[in-house]
Amino acid sequence: MSDIIRQPVEITYQAELDALKAEDTGKKPENWHLSPQAVVTYLMGGKTTDGTEISAKYIGKRRLIETAVATLATDRALLLLGVPGTAKSWVSEHLSAGISGTSTQVIQCTAGTDENQIRYGWNYAQLLANGPSKEALVPTPLLRAMESGSLCRLEELTRMGSDVQDTLITVLSEKMLPIPELNDSIYAQQGFNIIATANNKDKGVNELSSALKRRFNVVVLPLPDDMNEEITIISRRVSEMGASLELPVPKNANEEIKKVVTIFRELRGGETLDGRVTLKTPTGNLSTAEAISVMVGGLSQANWFGDGQFNAEDISSNLVGAIVKDPVQDKAVLEEYLETVLKKRQEFADYYQTINEIL
Amino acid sequence: MSKAGIHYFGIRHHGPGSAKRLIAALDRLQPEKVLIEGPADCSELLPLLAHQQMKPPVALLAYSAEQPACSIYYPFAEFSPEYQACLWAVRNNAELTFIDLPVNIQLAQRLPEYIEPQDNENDVTETQTPKPSEEPNDSEPHNNEADQISRDPIGTLARLAGYEDGEAWWNELIEQNGDDDQQIFATVEYAMGALREKLTGDEKDTVHDIQREAQMRLEIAKASKTITGEIAVVCGAWHVPALREKHSAKSDRERLKSLPTKLAKSKVKTTWIPWTSPRLATISGYGAGVSAPMWYQHIWRQNDNDQALEHWLGHVAHALREAGQIVSTASVIEAVRLSKSLALVRNRPTPGFEEIREAVIACLCFGESLVWQQLEDKLLLGNLVGEIPDVAPLVPLLEDLQRLQKKNKLKPEALEREVSLDLRSTTGLGKSILLHRLNILIVPWGKLIDAGGSRGTFRERWLLCWEPEYAVRLVENLVYGSTIEQAANNKLCESLTHENHLGKLADTVQLCLESQLNKAAEVGLSRLNNRAAHTSDALELLDSLSPLVNISRYGTARDMSLGLIGELINRLSIQAALALPYACRNINDEESQHYRHSINRAHAALQLAELDITIMDEWWQALQQVIASHQSSLQVAGLCARLLYQAKIIDNDTLQVLLQRTLSPGLPVADAARFFEGFFTDAVQRLLYDQVLMDAVENWLISLEEETFIESLPLFRRVFSDLDATERKRMMDTILGGQSSSLVQKRINSMTLPLWPTHLQRIGKLIQRNKTWTQ
Repeated sequence: MSDIIRQPVEITYQAELDALKAEDTGKKPENWHLSPQAVVTYLMGGKTTDGTEISAKYIGKRRLIETAVATLATDRALLLLGVPGTAKSWVSEHLSAGISGTSTQVIQCTAGTDENQIRYGWNYAQLLANGPSKEALVPTPLLRAMESGSLCRLEELTRMGSDVQDTLITVLSEKMLPIPELNDSIYAQQGFNIIATANNKDKGVNELSSALKRRFNVVVLPLPDDMNEEITIISRRVSEMGASLELPVPKNANEEIKKVVTIFRELRGGETLDGRVTLKTPTGNLSTAEAISVMVGGLSQANWFGDGQFNAEDISSNLVGAIVKDPVQDKAVLEEYLETVLKKRQEFADYYQTINEIL
Repeated sequence: MSKAGIHYFGIRHHGPGSAKRLIAALDRLQPEKVLIEGPADCSELLPLLAHQQMKPPVALLAYSAEQPACSIYYPFAEFSPEYQACLWAVRNNAELTFIDLPVNIQLAQRLPEYIEPQDNENDVTETQTPKPSEEPNDSEPHNNEADQISRDPIGTLARLAGYEDGEAWWNELIEQNGDDDQQIFATVEYAMGALREKLTGDEKDTVHDIQREAQMRLEIAKASKTITGEIAVVCGAWHVPALREKHSAKSDRERLKSLPTKLAKSKVKTTWIPWTSPRLATISGYGAGVSAPMWYQHIWRQNDNDQALEHWLGHVAHALREAGQIVSTASVIEAVRLSKSLALVRNRPTPGFEEIREAVIACLCFGESLVWQQLEDKLLLGNLVGEIPDVAPLVPLLEDLQRLQKKNKLKPEALEREVSLDLRSTTGLGKSILLHRLNILIVPWGKLIDAGGSRGTFRERWLLCWEPEYAVRLVENLVYGSTIEQAANNKLCESLTHENHLGKLADTVQLCLESQLNKAAEVGLSRLNNRAAHTSDALELLDSLSPLVNISRYGTARDMSLGLIGELINRLSIQAALALPYACRNINDEESQHYRHSINRAHAALQLAELDITIMDEWWQALQQVIASHQSSLQVAGLCARLLYQAKIIDNDTLQVLLQRTLSPGLPVADAARFFEGFFTDAVQRLLYDQVLMDAVENWLISLEEETFIESLPLFRRVFSDLDATERKRMMDTILGGQSSSLVQKRINSMTLPLWPTHLQRIGKLIQRNKTWTQ
């Protein structure tokens, strides 16, 4: 068991799920393993009556999770939107584990995903031998979920082509999947539903058609509200990644992370942290994940080409790359930010200078 | 109940659920007399509430005749239990009385605070002065926690229970207790009793509460002596336990001793004024306000409707559609379902305000809370304006105007009259301020002539003319405040929050300063600051500079943080400098005209502003970039070249090269003409003194083909028409050197000589107005 890098969450958190199930007296929708209230507790953390500590899976607003669970309790599909690194897949995994007891019915949507991977495929040997029959059908996770009345997860829904996305329309509105080859249909059992995740600020994706979009209830997962929380997340990830790349993390990492997070949060939020100056925001989304990659890039640069210490020069080039996604618009935004904000800050003097040089 | 014949109904101020219960209870009780928590000396105004023309939201306004700014409001909404109780009483012929502390005493308490700061004309509204507690019904924000409890105890209990909205809590906990009205009021009273016990006696506001409760007890006792039938007492739930306590009349009077003597009747004015739904909201600074007046009104109107939720969501969908969102009926159905299931997840019997909001965001706004936030104000605060009957007493704004007219010695006259005001004298300044403020309220008694045109900033000329309908217009402004100053302030604040254009914002701020409206000016400045970041339009940025520089030069006679303006100017000039070079690329002639105008104004302002040298550097750099870029509009480039040359940023040689390049024959004439126009418009005089320019222009003109020269003639005419006769002559002299006299010599054309005598006769006739002169 220990050879497996990562177990599905329903196994990792089995004890918590069992404890919640044991004390759960609330009314459960058909085929749900837990009541909606217990699912919210499972996600947000808490304590059961027998003293089992339920860890918080999602740190953020409770009402978002409540809306998500309530959506699944109606027969509407749930779409989790958010910029990369906002725990969308993580939340969908746990929702699925909490509600259906399994998180493994998942379809990873890509540009190459076709209808056969969404609806059903054929076992061609069978098909040739016996002609079309149920036995020749190769079910997809979606089809299995419909038959067993459980949840199916679709990761990165907008990455697959629009025509393939629209396959879902019948499934979502009529809760059935026609198999014209057999003149038959699969009808979804109670408890079936879909959790999809998608980036809401991404380029090169296929926008949801409005017919499909309105079949989803949408919950937007925001970036971390709290600066310290974000700094902790970043410094933890940076040291983890540093360790796996066998790069020593310099001592001054935390100070630099703080500065980078300050720049990111100010540009992302459209105002300085003290709220005095309002700023324009660049087109990129400047997520926590990008701050992490800026720091890791800086780390590697500092180690291989620098003196092992973080300095503004190492970070600035990565920083500019992360902020300036659109060469005209974002450059102007960054220039303005430099002139109106960073220029006046003593501790950012080296950043001001190095970024200016790069621009 | 306990005392025979006296029934206490603890209500939640502006709580629709409470109002519904109250009416049901009154219907059952059929009291002979209804006592309501409200100023005792305003009782005679109450029947007006039931007047046909009275349309809530309205407010009972009491103010001091000498200091109208010292005033108290008691707003009533359609869903206020007090309002419904009044209506009930009038409909059922029950006697109706207010029992709280009279306004003449309350005003007497406050008046001293208004008299002292009078000299510096500070805008002292009742929302700003820190004071001990007031009525739950007046407009004062209180942050004190204990005060919060006594003000909206039910809301406090609801928040403790994890509800955002008191009404949802009321619905679920109080109403769930059964349909027995009496039991409901008893439950509320019990809860209040428990809550009151938790408060120790030393909170500052309890003194005031004790006095009010003593007053109410006295009034109730008085009423019970004269009336034999049932008496209903309608008051904030908070007060019920105290009103039930037994105190001797003597000890109650003792409690009231410390109050100031009441104002004479002639010094206190009370009347009804129209109110607006946004000002019923807590967000407007009204302490006892509710979070969402329109939602409450919906609850009230759809009281017995099972489909209230569907109606509300339909209403939301409608608003979303109006805002351009595509919202299908199917989505609305889903929103209804989601709010119900959310309520289930939260263990609530029915969906409340919060559940509905989250359902709307998830189903109708595709998860974007921004979409909802944009509509939130409109949906929740609404834009209802109340109406008052014609028979209501005179309104304070007119009185304030009369007072100010007397003070400033300005008489309303129907005929036009011109006055010139010296702003250095107090009387002149006073008049100017009054006229400015009236203009803000769209009462154009005075029109400012030669605005901004005259050289001196201390002189203004006004054209005065009073029209009778101005009085009516003034009254329409009552919703903004009870004095002209207050109303103008609030009105400007409102329009400032809706204005997004930088230049207009800056103009408005300047107007605020001219009218001495500090509150609005501060709002305007913070708006400017906010908007500044979001604007990348160079025109807007340029336009905002001139008024701002004017403001910063306008002087610091007022207690305003002009430092903020300085910072803003710095920032805006940097932004403008950064945006300019990109903005004036690839624009047509008409647009470039706007740009030239704006650049000219901004440049003049920047030179006056005495900015930091680094910031000016940015500006010069921007101008240089404009010239250097081949895509820049040539008119603008011409202007920039001249500005730089005038400021000696570029020297003679550079300019010469530049002019030769742009005016060289190789360039299309139309383009060269554009540059020429940009350079010399408003500055053609420079040609007279500047040989470098002169040579360049001369060479260019000479190089032009005859045809193209004629085509460009209108342009030259336009540019050179700025010169007056002597300048033109001097120019000719310079160009032609000494030869001018010989060339322009007048010669007599001998061919026309015979015609001259008849001409002379005709002229003679013409002078005598003889119509036959043409013959």
